[in-house]
Amino acid sequence: MFRLNLKIALRNLWKNKVASLINMTGLAIGLAACLMLLVYVLYEWNFDKHSKNAGSTYVTLTNIRDDSGKVMFTFDGTTTALGPLIKAGIPEVKYLCRTSYGSNSLIANKANSFKKQGRFAEPDFLKIFDFQFISGDPRTAMKQPKSVVLTESTARVLFGTADVLNKTVRYQDREDLSVTGVIRDLPDNSSNKFDFLMPWSFYELVDPGLKNLNWDNYSFITLVTLHPGADPAAVNKKLDVLIKKNRNITGPLQPYFFFPLSKMHLYGKFEEGKSVGGAIAQIWLYIALAGGILLIACVNFMNMATARSEKRAREVGIKKTIGATRSSLILQFLLESLILAFVSILLAIALVEAFLPAMNNLLGIRIDITYFNGYIWLGILAVLLFTGLAAGGYPAFYLSSFNPVQTLKRKVGRGSFSVRLRQILIVGQFCFTVLLIISTLIIYRQLQYIKNRPLGADTNALVEMPQEGQLYDKFELFKTNLLNSGAVSSVCQTSVSLVHHSSNFNGLEWPGITPQERSILFNQVATTYDFIQTNGLKLIMGRDFSKQYASDSAAVLVSAAAVKTMKLKDPLGKVLKVGGQQGTIIGVFQDYVWDSPYKSNTPLIVNFNKGYGGNITIKLKADRGLKEGMETVRRIARQINPAYPVEMNFVDNAYEEMMQKERKLGILSNLFGGLAIFISCLGLYGLVAYSAEQRTREFGVRKVLGASVLNLMQLLSVSFIKMIAIAIMIAVPVALYLMNTWLQNFEYHTGISWWIIALASAGTLVIAMLTLSFQAYKSAVANPADALKYE
Amino acid sequence: MIKIENLEKVYKTEEIETTALNGINLHVKEGEFVSIMGPSGCGKSTLLNVMGLLDKPESGSYQFGGTELLKLNDRERSNFRKRNMGFVFQNFNLIDELTVFENIELPLIYNKVAAAERKRLVNEIIERMNIVNRSGHFPQQLSGGQQQRVAVARALVTKPRLVLADEPTGNLDSSHGNEVMELLCELNEAGTTIVMVTHSSHDASFSNRIINLKDGHVISEKINKGRTEELI
Repeated sequence: MFRLNLKIALRNLWKNKVASLINMTGLAIGLAACLMLLVYVLYEWNFDKHSKNAGSTYVTLTNIRDDSGKVMFTFDGTTTALGPLIKAGIPEVKYLCRTSYGSNSLIANKANSFKKQGRFAEPDFLKIFDFQFISGDPRTAMKQPKSVVLTESTARVLFGTADVLNKTVRYQDREDLSVTGVIRDLPDNSSNKFDFLMPWSFYELVDPGLKNLNWDNYSFITLVTLHPGADPAAVNKKLDVLIKKNRNITGPLQPYFFFPLSKMHLYGKFEEGKSVGGAIAQIWLYIALAGGILLIACVNFMNMATARSEKRAREVGIKKTIGATRSSLILQFLLESLILAFVSILLAIALVEAFLPAMNNLLGIRIDITYFNGYIWLGILAVLLFTGLAAGGYPAFYLSSFNPVQTLKRKVGRGSFSVRLRQILIVGQFCFTVLLIISTLIIYRQLQYIKNRPLGADTNALVEMPQEGQLYDKFELFKTNLLNSGAVSSVCQTSVSLVHHSSNFNGLEWPGITPQERSILFNQVATTYDFIQTNGLKLIMGRDFSKQYASDSAAVLVSAAAVKTMKLKDPLGKVLKVGGQQGTIIGVFQDYVWDSPYKSNTPLIVNFNKGYGGNITIKLKADRGLKEGMETVRRIARQINPAYPVEMNFVDNAYEEMMQKERKLGILSNLFGGLAIFISCLGLYGLVAYSAEQRTREFGVRKVLGASVLNLMQLLSVSFIKMIAIAIMIAVPVALYLMNTWLQNFEYHTGISWWIIALASAGTLVIAMLTLSFQAYKSAVANPADALKYE
Repeated sequence: MIKIENLEKVYKTEEIETTALNGINLHVKEGEFVSIMGPSGCGKSTLLNVMGLLDKPESGSYQFGGTELLKLNDRERSNFRKRNMGFVFQNFNLIDELTVFENIELPLIYNKVAAAERKRLVNEIIERMNIVNRSGHFPQQLSGGQQQRVAVARALVTKPRLVLADEPTGNLDSSHGNEVMELLCELNEAGTTIVMVTHSSHDASFSNRIINLKDGHVISEKINKGRTEELI
C-alpha cells in the first residue's frame, strides 16, 4: 500500500509540475535563507565562547566621567597599575592578565618578513583562553621575555611548516625571539585575536616606561577569570571599594567594573556605565528575518498543499468506498507532505553549501557548514515535522473525515475553513513582505545619508601607511624624496590615522576654565608640518604649522568643536596647558569625521610633536595616475626602509570600513528581503494558478455568456489584491514604528519620507498584480471549448 | 440475502427537511439482479448509498445475510464493505494517478491480499474484461466504455457478494452502454447479486426485478418475466 500511495503522490507531483516545483523550491529557498542567517547568527552568538573558562572570564571596563560626574563613555581600556592592584586585593580572581591591544607588527624568519597582528600579554593569558597547543608547553611558553607563541598559520607563512619549536623569529627588525609554542588558529569569532603572542616581560623591554605603574594611560586591556562559584556582583562591589579606597575617589560612580567577556561583542554598548545592548539588536533582527522568511515559505507550502488537496477529495472518496480506513488515509497524506518537505530540506542544505562561500565573501567573514551543530539539525528536524505535518494535516484530518458520498459528489470543493485560513496566511505573509521592503529602503537611505554626510576632509587620492623602522628617523628624507618625485603633492606625519583617533585625555586647561571643566575629555593628534593641507581640512581661522615659525613647536591647532567646548571667543593666541606642557592656538579647523560617522566627536587638539609618529599620510597627485603614484611611494619607501614591506591604504576605504556593521545589515536585509518578496510572489502565483484551474469550467461558461478577458482577470485577481491591501495597511504602521526606533540609534539619521511608504506599497501591489495578471490572463484567454469539454 | 425494513433517511438544511427515504422495505435474494428506478430526487441514489454503507439512515433495519449492518461502527462498516461489496459509478471514479492495473489492484491491497495473489487476480479479471492491452494505461487514455469496464473490474476483483451500480451507463453512448450491461448480466449469471440504480428502462430490462420509487416510497415492484424465464 505504501508503494502505491507513494506512486500516487509522485504522479500527483509530476502532473502538477509547476505547482510542485513552486512548492518545493519555495520552501527550499526559504529554508536555505533561514539556515544561512541562523549560521551567521550562531557565528555572532558564539563570539568569545570557545574556551572552557569563557563563562567566568571578564574584561575590566573603565567608566570615563565628564565634568558633571556623569559617565561619558565606557570602554575596555585600562591602565597598567590596575592589574596588580586587583590581583593583590581581590582573592576571587583566579587568573589575571594585562594585554596590549594588538597591533600590526613586523615578524620575520630571516628575509621572509610579514606584517602580522602581534600582542603582548601576561602568562595567565594562556590559562584564560586555554588555546590548543600543537607544540610547546602553555605553562612555560611565556616565561622567558624573548619568546613568542605563533599561531599555526603564522608559523606556516613564516617557515612553511608548523613544526618550528625553538626556532628564531625577528620582531620589528629589532629583537630575536625564540618560538616557545605553536597553537591552533583562533576561531574567527574571537575578540582577542592575534597572529603571534609575546610575553608582557618582553613588552617592558620594548617600552621600559611600562614598568612604572601608571593611572593615566588607558592603552591596555585587563582580563580576569574568577574562581568557580565566585559571585560576579559581589566581586564587582569589592572592586569598587578597592579602587575608591586606593585612588581616593568618592561618589556613587564605579570607576572600573568587570563585564563578561563573552557578552562584550553583542552587548558592548554602554550608557551611564550600564550595558544597553549593542550588536545584539541586529542579531534579533536577523533572527526575526530568518523566522519570517521561513514562515513565508512554510505558509506557501501549506497553502499550496491544502489547496491542492481539495482536488483530491474524490480520491479520498473512492478509496473509502473500496475499503480504505481513515487512518490509512491520514497516514498517506501526512507521509506525502513529509516526503515533500524532506526533499525541500535536502535541497535547502545543498543551497546553503553552494551559497555559503558567496555570503562569506559578501560579509567578509569565514563560516563553514561545520557550524551546523546539534541544535541546528534539531531545528531542521523541527521545521521538517512542523511544515510537513501542518501542510499534510489539513487534508489528512479534514478530508479523511468526510463521508465518501459527499466527497464523490464534490460537495467539499472548498472548505470555508481552509479558505479563510489561507486568506489569513496570505495577509500575514504579505505583511511581512511589505515590512521588509520598507525596512530595506530605510536602511539603504540611512546608509546613503551617512555616506553622503560631509567628511570634513578631502580623502580623494589620500593614502596612509604605517610609520615604522627607518621611516621614523629618516622621515624628512622620505618626505623630500616623495615631493621631489612629482607623484605626491603633500605629506604629513601623525600619531594616529585620520580615521581612528583614540587618544582621549583630560586635564586640559585654558583661559577661563572652571574647575569642573578640567575633566572634559579631549582627543589629541600629534603631527608635524602640513597636517591641514595633506588631509584637506578646512581652516576656519589662523594657519597650519609652518617651518617659517620656530615657535610652532609649541603651537596647537584646535577643532571648531574644541573652541565651542572651551567657550573661547577669540581662540587664536590663547594658551592651552596640559601636564606641565603648553601650546598656543594658531589655527582652528572645521570638525571632520573619525571613529564613527554616526555621531559627533569629542573636541580635538592637534599638537606639534616630532617624536610622536606612527602614521604617514600622503596626498597623491590624482592626475598622474594613482597606480603609478603608489608605485613611486613604494619604491622610495623601500629604498629608505628596506626591512619593512610597504603597506598603503586608501583613506576612502578606511571610511568605508567604519560602516561595516551597517553595510552588513544593508546587504543582508536587501538580499533576504528580496528573497522574501520572491518567495511570497511564488506562493501567490501558485495559488492563483490553482484557483484559476479550479474555476476553468466557470470561466468557460462565463466566456460563452460574453465575459471579456478583463472581466475574468478582475474576477480572479480582486480577492487577492484585497488581501494584499489589507496586509499593507497592517504592515505600514508596524514598519514605521520599528524603523523609527532603529533610526533613533543614530545621532545623525535620515527621516522616513512618505514616498518610501508609497513606493513600498505600490511596489508590492505592482509585483503582486504582475504575478496575478500573468496567470489570470493565461486562463482568461483560454479557449472556452477546452474548458467545457473537461469531464 | 438483503432484508431492508422501514428505512428512513432525512436530509436537513437550515430551512427545510427533505425526506429521502420514507419507510422503505426491500428484500433482495442471493443471485438477484434488481433495478431501482424512479424520477430525480425520489431517493434511489440515497437507497443505494445506504445499501453500500456509504450513508447512514435515521432509522430502520438493514440485514445482510443475517447481520444487522446499521449497528456497526465506522471501522466495522468499512471492513464489511470492503469484503462484501463492489461499486460501479456513473462517472467511473477511477483514480487518475493510477494505471488500470493499479486501480484494479487497490481494493485487494485494502483487503490485505498478498502481492502474488493480487497479481494473479488482477490479471485474471483483466483478461475476463478484455482490457489486457490497456493494463498499463492511465484512465484518461481510455474511452468511456473502457473506463467503465475497468471500474467494473475493480468492483469485481474482490469477488464481492453484492455489486452496487449507480447509473453505470449514464455517461456512455448506447453501444458502450450495452456492452457494460451485458457484462453485468454475465456477472449476475455467474452468481453475483447486483443492485442497480438507473433512469433507463432499457437498462432495467436486463434485470430480474424492477423497483419503482417515488418520494421515498416503493410504489411498485415488477418481475421482469422475460429475463427471469431466461434465467430459469
